[in-house]
Amino acid sequence: MRILRSLLAAILLVVPLPAMAYDILVLQSLHEKGYEEAVRGVRRECQASTRTIVLSDYAETDVTRIIREEHPRVIVAVGDRALAVAERVRGIPVLYMMALNPKPRQKATGVGMLLDPSRYLSVFDDIGAKRVGVVYDPARSGSYVRRAQTAARRSGIDLVLREVHSPKETPAMLDSLRGKVDALWMIPDVTAVSPASTEAYFLFSQAQSVPVVTFSDVYLSMGGAVALGIDRFDIGKQLGAMAESVLAGTPVDDIPPQTPRRVLPKTNDGVLRRLKMNSGLGGY
Amino acid sequence: MKGFRFRLYLISTATIALLTAAFASVYVITEMNGYRSTLEREGKLLATILAQNARLPLFAENREALSLLASASARHPSILFVSISNAEGQLLTEVRNRKDDVGDAIDMDVPITSPGTVLSPDAVLLGRATVDNKRVIGHVHLRLDTSGVREQLKELLVASLAIGTLFWINVSLLCYQILKRVTYSFKMLLRGIEEIGSGHLSTRVDLEGDDELARAANAINAMAASLELRELENLSLQEELLKAMKLEVQEEKKRVMARLIQTNKMTSLGLLLSSMAHEINNPNASIRFSGHMISKIWADVVPVLDRIREEEGDFYLGGVPFQTARTALSDNAVKIVENSERIARVVQGLREYGIGDATKGRPDFNLNDAVSAALSVLACQMKQNVQLRTALGSDVPAIAGSQQQIEQVLINLIMNAMQALPNACGEVDVTTRYERESDEVVVEVQDTGAGISAEIMERLFEPFFSTKLDRGGSGLGLYISQFIVAEHGGRLLLSSEPGNGTLARVIIPVKRGAALLGELVTAENKQHAADTVHQAG
Repeated sequence: MRILRSLLAAILLVVPLPAMAYDILVLQSLHEKGYEEAVRGVRRECQASTRTIVLSDYAETDVTRIIREEHPRVIVAVGDRALAVAERVRGIPVLYMMALNPKPRQKATGVGMLLDPSRYLSVFDDIGAKRVGVVYDPARSGSYVRRAQTAARRSGIDLVLREVHSPKETPAMLDSLRGKVDALWMIPDVTAVSPASTEAYFLFSQAQSVPVVTFSDVYLSMGGAVALGIDRFDIGKQLGAMAESVLAGTPVDDIPPQTPRRVLPKTNDGVLRRLKMNSGLGGY
Repeated sequence: MKGFRFRLYLISTATIALLTAAFASVYVITEMNGYRSTLEREGKLLATILAQNARLPLFAENREALSLLASASARHPSILFVSISNAEGQLLTEVRNRKDDVGDAIDMDVPITSPGTVLSPDAVLLGRATVDNKRVIGHVHLRLDTSGVREQLKELLVASLAIGTLFWINVSLLCYQILKRVTYSFKMLLRGIEEIGSGHLSTRVDLEGDDELARAANAINAMAASLELRELENLSLQEELLKAMKLEVQEEKKRVMARLIQTNKMTSLGLLLSSMAHEINNPNASIRFSGHMISKIWADVVPVLDRIREEEGDFYLGGVPFQTARTALSDNAVKIVENSERIARVVQGLREYGIGDATKGRPDFNLNDAVSAALSVLACQMKQNVQLRTALGSDVPAIAGSQQQIEQVLINLIMNAMQALPNACGEVDVTTRYERESDEVVVEVQDTGAGISAEIMERLFEPFFSTKLDRGGSGLGLYISQFIVAEHGGRLLLSSEPGNGTLARVIIPVKRGAALLGELVTAENKQHAADTVHQAG
């Protein structure tokens, strides 16, 4: 009888194993159209077997247990929260994407949501803006701004920086840029660009006749001049290639974090015309 | 006319005044409402703009900027007070334009909302759809001064009163001129109508133009002309009528005179007949007496003369043998008596026809006797070419009444029948019979004359109507005959067709006649029946 019990337990433990075996665990922060778009890109690029878990459907402890028990070869974290959960699991390489402010540890790399600063600097160069105002939260966008500043120096563009620590400070900081900048660079910093303060950028642009270069075409309708958007599907594909590489044996630490490789540039011709700028801006 | 004009003027000016006052009132009320509405809209707009502009400073809690915005808004003259507070109700800034103790004021509160359709950067990067989730982050409070409304009201009232009064005066003057012109036409028209109404039909209303009054004037002129023409025609007709009446009176007078003459003739004829009867009857009585005497004497003489002839043989008397003379004298004596009696009957008949005979009223008489008597009277009137045939019924019973009157009726009818014969040539049938079923006796006089037309037939029984007035007719024959027959309870019927002769029927009831007997006898004793007709006519 004891033997029979042991045999049955062994069968129950062994039988599901082939079904649960997969290479990539996709941890998605929540059901979000943008996330799913990027995940589709991953699947397009990477043919490895995947399982997707949406964190909003599970308790965090359950997710951790699942990861430990199922032990995927790679975790693809989609979103900031998914990245945070994935990084708690030791020993499994983590590839992240669609995270606005990733702070990856070791054995984690991925594709950020922010375009390489040089892309924006090219725009400023094209429109002839030598002084570019940037309002940012050092806690969120400090590293990105530093990289941008370094690149700007190389491009001969002076970034006029204003730090904010609360969204309420944004209007005042923008006000302090009056007469000091040729363009405004709106970076995706949730402190510097809050829903309540967003229009301050465009009021400033209107009052000072300086263009606002932003990160999404959504702001063009509010008065933005140029938008360099990201392609979420392409980000997914970019990460999919990264995952293939990791699955092929490349150590994660050898793969540096990347910025989105594809840019979706758009312009508001009306604003550009009013500002007497050329709408036929080059590729970025 | 002056009163009419004055009333019209009064009504029009009063109406204009009322309308002006009504329009002015509506204008003032509308303007005031519009002004107040404009003020409210203006205040709402100012508050909305302020709320829009204050959104960022409020979000940034920039009181200085809010104060500047509020001050800028408060510079508007109609704003008494401006305040901006956050969502928790904390007053962030307020500006009082002046002491706002002005009484009537409008308070306006407009929420300051965050931009509802703006997403956070992460949401934008994730491609979330934009949703409107506006959030109230503060309030703008404005107090509007409405004292300007009162000032506006005063100005409007004064302006409306002035304009309305000016308008009223001008329009009233205009109305007066128009009424004067219009009533002048009325006056002309009325004057013309009065002139025409007073009989001056040659008057004309002198109004020119093609308006209603001018058309009315033309119509009245036409009517006056028509009346004038009619009057002339009436005068002409009156003259013609007078002439015609004179002619007709003369003609009537002639006819009446002819009837009077005829009646007089008839009366004279009656008297003549009576006189003639008297003059003839006396010698005739003597002749008849002589005849009788001759017969008697001859009867006594004959036996003597017979013995003489037997004794002495035949002898001559008056140139003829006695044997012949004996018979001839006897016959001649009888003839003398008979002819004398006949003369007596004829004379009696003429006398009875002319003056009537009260003694002839009998309780009953035979209709055939009346026919024979009538024919005997008419014997001398018989023309040679007129064939008179009689068919007298043997079973005709006696009827009550006046034989003489019935004879008169029959004489009239037979005379008419003979006169109707063309060229006095034709046939006249007189028939009597008894109708047992209806117990009536009937006399029919049928001629083969020209007949009677329908028009004349309708008037046959009218008194003094005759187609033979020029030939001595009185126009009373049938009228009297119908009266006599009716007095006997009977009826006189005439039926005729032009070209087919005429049938006259006298129908008298046997019993009815008996019932009338007493009355007739009494009436005839008093006066002749025809006299009643004459008196009635």
